Amino acid sequence: MMPVSMPMRMVQIILMVLLALGIVSGDDTQIGSKIPNLKIRLLDGSSTTLHSLTEDGPLMIDFWATWCVPCKKLMKFLDQYHQDYSEDGFKVLMINTDTPRSLGKVRSYVVSQGYQFHIGMDPNKVISKKLNGMVMPTLILVDKGGEVKWRHQGYIAGEEVEINGQIRQVLGKNIETQIEG
Amino acid sequence: MKINIFFLIVFISISSLRATNLDMNGAINANYGNSYDFYDFSENILDLNFFYNDLQGWIQYEYSNPPDIGFMTNDIRKFRLEYSADDFLIKLGDLYEFWGRGLILNQFDDQVTNFDNGTRGLYLEYNKGPMSFSHMNGNSNIWGMGADLRIPGYNNIHSMAANRFHYDLSSLSLGLTQLRSNESHDKMSGPSALVSHNLKGVYASWAGGNADLFVEYVDKVSTEKTTMFGSIPNDTLKRGHGYYQNLNFYFGNWGLSTEYKRYAFDKAHGDLTANDYGNQIEYQQMPTLGKEQNSTLLGRLTHNYNFNDERGAQVELNGSLLGLSVSAQYAHLSRNEEWQSVTAQNWVDKAVSGYLPSSDPSALPYWENYQEISGYAFNDKLYFKLGRGANKEILKTTRYFEGTQQDLSINSFWSYDTTDTMLFGYDYQIIDSIEVFDTSFSDPYDVESKLWQQSKAITFPMEVNYIFDNGYTIGIGFQYQERKKANKAMGNATSFNAADSSWTMYNPDDYNDRYSTSTTQLANSDGTVETQINRLIYLSISKAPRWSFTITHDWTNSYDASVPVDPYYNPLEALIYGDLKYFTGKRNSIDPPSWVQNRWVSAEFAYNITSSQRLTIMYGSIQGGLFCSNGICRLIPPFNDGLKITYSASF
Repeated sequence: MMPVSMPMRMVQIILMVLLALGIVSGDDTQIGSKIPNLKIRLLDGSSTTLHSLTEDGPLMIDFWATWCVPCKKLMKFLDQYHQDYSEDGFKVLMINTDTPRSLGKVRSYVVSQGYQFHIGMDPNKVISKKLNGMVMPTLILVDKGGEVKWRHQGYIAGEEVEINGQIRQVLGKNIETQIEG
Repeated sequence: MKINIFFLIVFISISSLRATNLDMNGAINANYGNSYDFYDFSENILDLNFFYNDLQGWIQYEYSNPPDIGFMTNDIRKFRLEYSADDFLIKLGDLYEFWGRGLILNQFDDQVTNFDNGTRGLYLEYNKGPMSFSHMNGNSNIWGMGADLRIPGYNNIHSMAANRFHYDLSSLSLGLTQLRSNESHDKMSGPSALVSHNLKGVYASWAGGNADLFVEYVDKVSTEKTTMFGSIPNDTLKRGHGYYQNLNFYFGNWGLSTEYKRYAFDKAHGDLTANDYGNQIEYQQMPTLGKEQNSTLLGRLTHNYNFNDERGAQVELNGSLLGLSVSAQYAHLSRNEEWQSVTAQNWVDKAVSGYLPSSDPSALPYWENYQEISGYAFNDKLYFKLGRGANKEILKTTRYFEGTQQDLSINSFWSYDTTDTMLFGYDYQIIDSIEVFDTSFSDPYDVESKLWQQSKAITFPMEVNYIFDNGYTIGIGFQYQERKKANKAMGNATSFNAADSSWTMYNPDDYNDRYSTSTTQLANSDGTVETQINRLIYLSISKAPRWSFTITHDWTNSYDASVPVDPYYNPLEALIYGDLKYFTGKRNSIDPPSWVQNRWVSAEFAYNITSSQRLTIMYGSIQGGLFCSNGICRLIPPFNDGLKITYSASF
């Protein structure tokens, strides 16, 4: 294969960026697209599907691992939202991507923190790939009908305010906090 | 042209998909890097997922020229179609399956390390109530890294078939697994070896309210096909087994995780190479029983786990105390054998007694323990984390003998030999002398001759960040590490003398005279260094949810021979150290001050274009290892004085 010059590489990157911008069309998310009805195994050994989790209300999906520090920082807030909005049918599904290297410590960590949200298991990242959650953390907010309303990658300290606002928006509640972007 | 056609197809596909009831999503990851020492890369990956009723599709396109690690690619890299109906699931394309805890099958595609053990083939699954039966078959091209750090060197080709029976009964689960693979194994030189692997396994799990248990066992037989004079019936090449168990206890806000492993698919007193085949195959990616570290300095001390020959135990306690998260971990691993070097080249093994790992240096033991406390304060505005990690590892043994030997005494004396000889009818007596040897052995005496290399380190990672009311966050992280790496020698004998097949005594006049030395293997430009001190500090400022900026300074006082130095002086480093000569032109950038070589400075700016699009720009040098910045963790190779641009989007 012929080597490609530096300017050509930059052009290719720009093409990819333009492609993404074209796809996203100015929206942060593809509003209206439905979350696939993927089957997922939970930490307690039972199985469920993404659609069944959205039957009662909105669902926030997040991808995490026990070694991911930003993920752990965010989990505390997500569990709080899971409990705060449980009466509205809102749920949080934390999809764990620990490999066999650390898979045995997942339940121990969750128990130690007293978290109450749902824990899904995805050790070979099949679900992560299907939902494009390879960057951790990746948040996907789905409404009661299963439509994707918001996506977000990474965690910058303080972003929990934005996350809370997005959840409240989907729930049809007043957004008490100022949301940027 | 090919790339343009592909983009056209993508656009048309997306447009048509949006016009129908099909659902889809996608992601783009584009990475560009360029550094002063020609380490440049440009890799672009596009993932698309399609969902239509019971049909799912995945396609991954890559344009990399060159990638960070791997081969240049401009093609559809991966694809898969899945169809599920009633009790059946069918997959066709690139398969990534995970059974049990991976003692037989654990497939993944890790582009950071360029490890991909996926199978291109067919997968069938039948589910009926609590039972499920799975079958898969296909081919895998699995590349391993050789001498080149960026381009793979070895290719093992597998033609495989695997089956699994899984049964769920309330809180109990049982699985039976089987995998058979015919492998063309790439050796370091010469033709590839043709090896057949047959693995049979069983796993079981139980989940209770206050405890859970998982156990898995696998038995493996490998045979080699020899091609001399045509096909000859296979002979068993290697036979081995692996066992893993995970027992956890939960009480209140505390969880205790215990793990035990015993992998015995091969054995060696040193490292195994590509010429050692017939042992663990790439599909077997098992639990390591080591801590998955998330601090940069601890990540660099990762033990080189041996899936062929290692046993060990790990205990980890997680809990909450006074609102703080507390974690404590301990692991001890070793080979399954203790080794003796009976000569300089010949090593004999003796199985480690019992079930636990050995502490004998010849079994290459590894210890690690880590404690961490973290939490929030001031109404969740302040986050802090403080850790302590200690590691000790025997890296290799050069000689290791403990036994007895005898000295051979040779006394000679001359004796007369008288012989009567008839010559010309007369009897002559010839008197000659002959040297007679008398050999005798001394009493056995103790001999000890040991030489091994070990490393020992203690690390303190810490992190604090504070969120202000106006949305800005200031963060500071500091990691401190002290590390020793030395050759240890001890005993009353030094080297092995092949000429008379004996150990050379340290003091020939006094066999009880012993020595014990430690020679450091760390150095800098001034000479050898006993203790390596690594410091890493990072400062960050961020404004959620838009951007974050981080400056990282990594410093060491010495290095191993294999660790690259940072010889180039860049303006960022000059700015931070207040070196005005750099900017006034009085400093030659290719003749930097010596202290720069042990420092790596980088600055990274991350910007969320939208909530699902992220742009990251990094400038500077990074020593390498696991790196966490701006909310994302990843493993990265060393990178010297260059620019990296990363763009990621999901849609």
